[in-house]
Amino acid sequence: MIRDLLFSFSQWSDTMVLGHAIRESVWLFPFVEIFHVLALAVLGGTVWLLNMRLLGVPLLREAPLPELARQLWPLTLWSLVVVLLSGYALYASEAIRVFSNWGFRVKMVALVLAVLFTFTLHRKVVRAQEGNVAPVWRKTAAVVSLMLWLLVGLGGRAIGYIT
Amino acid sequence: MGFSHFLQWLSETPFSDVIRGSVWVQPLLETIHLLTLTVFFGFVVVLDLRLLGLVLVSQRVTEVHSQLNRWLYVAFATMICTGVLLFSGDPVSFWDTVFFKTKMCLLFAALLNIGVFNWTVGRRASQWDLAPDTPLAAKAAAIISLTLWVAIIAAGRGIAYAVQPPA
Repeated sequence: MIRDLLFSFSQWSDTMVLGHAIRESVWLFPFVEIFHVLALAVLGGTVWLLNMRLLGVPLLREAPLPELARQLWPLTLWSLVVVLLSGYALYASEAIRVFSNWGFRVKMVALVLAVLFTFTLHRKVVRAQEGNVAPVWRKTAAVVSLMLWLLVGLGGRAIGYIT
Repeated sequence: MGFSHFLQWLSETPFSDVIRGSVWVQPLLETIHLLTLTVFFGFVVVLDLRLLGLVLVSQRVTEVHSQLNRWLYVAFATMICTGVLLFSGDPVSFWDTVFFKTKMCLLFAALLNIGVFNWTVGRRASQWDLAPDTPLAAKAAAIISLTLWVAIIAAGRGIAYAVQPPA
């Protein structure tokens, strides 16, 4: 049922003008891919920075973590928007092909979890005053976040290698 | 022995063979290269946006600089190592593509930009550490840096397409 729904979505994406245009062009795929890589690097950088702080690494220690998280939030948010938009465009150009790719499937599940986690629990922990959340939960939040994003990255790398 | 002979010789070493021939060595190196890049470029963006006065304005420039720098050095060294190894796996093809030469020139320019910054306006950073508006020279260095790193990453993607088209 869910599989059919997702497959229909892939079929629909595959036939859209966007995917068609990227498929037909020699340079459009690499061009969109560069934006995808640049934005994911910015996202990765901010995720790494905040998680290191949660783990107790004294990175930019002069700034309280809630303050740091608030100031970096636009960077996290906008890089995520660019990653998702460029990612969807790349997917649309080969939606049917990647649908059965296990690297892609792992990446998508990890991505949904990572985004949900970032916007809910992780955001809460990162913005809480230092003493209000036990260190063990701060560290757990950091490890879960790093693992989920790492899985997104590894799944993404695997798409190209699994045929 | 000319340079092209050196590349030819390098590509025929067993060392090069291992990188090229193994199913997992090349993907592993590329994955480490890319994961490190996400930390490196993310931190470069934070640092340059601070120089532009756009983020972390309540933090001293010198503090942001010195704290991010340690990570940037480690990340850069990791990328140089994995980059050299990836190059060794197929030196002739790498050298053949214009993207590789472009990337190396841009990389040199980016390092030069850092050097110039550190020797000029960066040296006096303690004087404008917390100023609401950063000096024009610092802003220029930040914009040059961002432009160059974006171009370096773009050229890097170009190499991947030119040397071995992704499946």
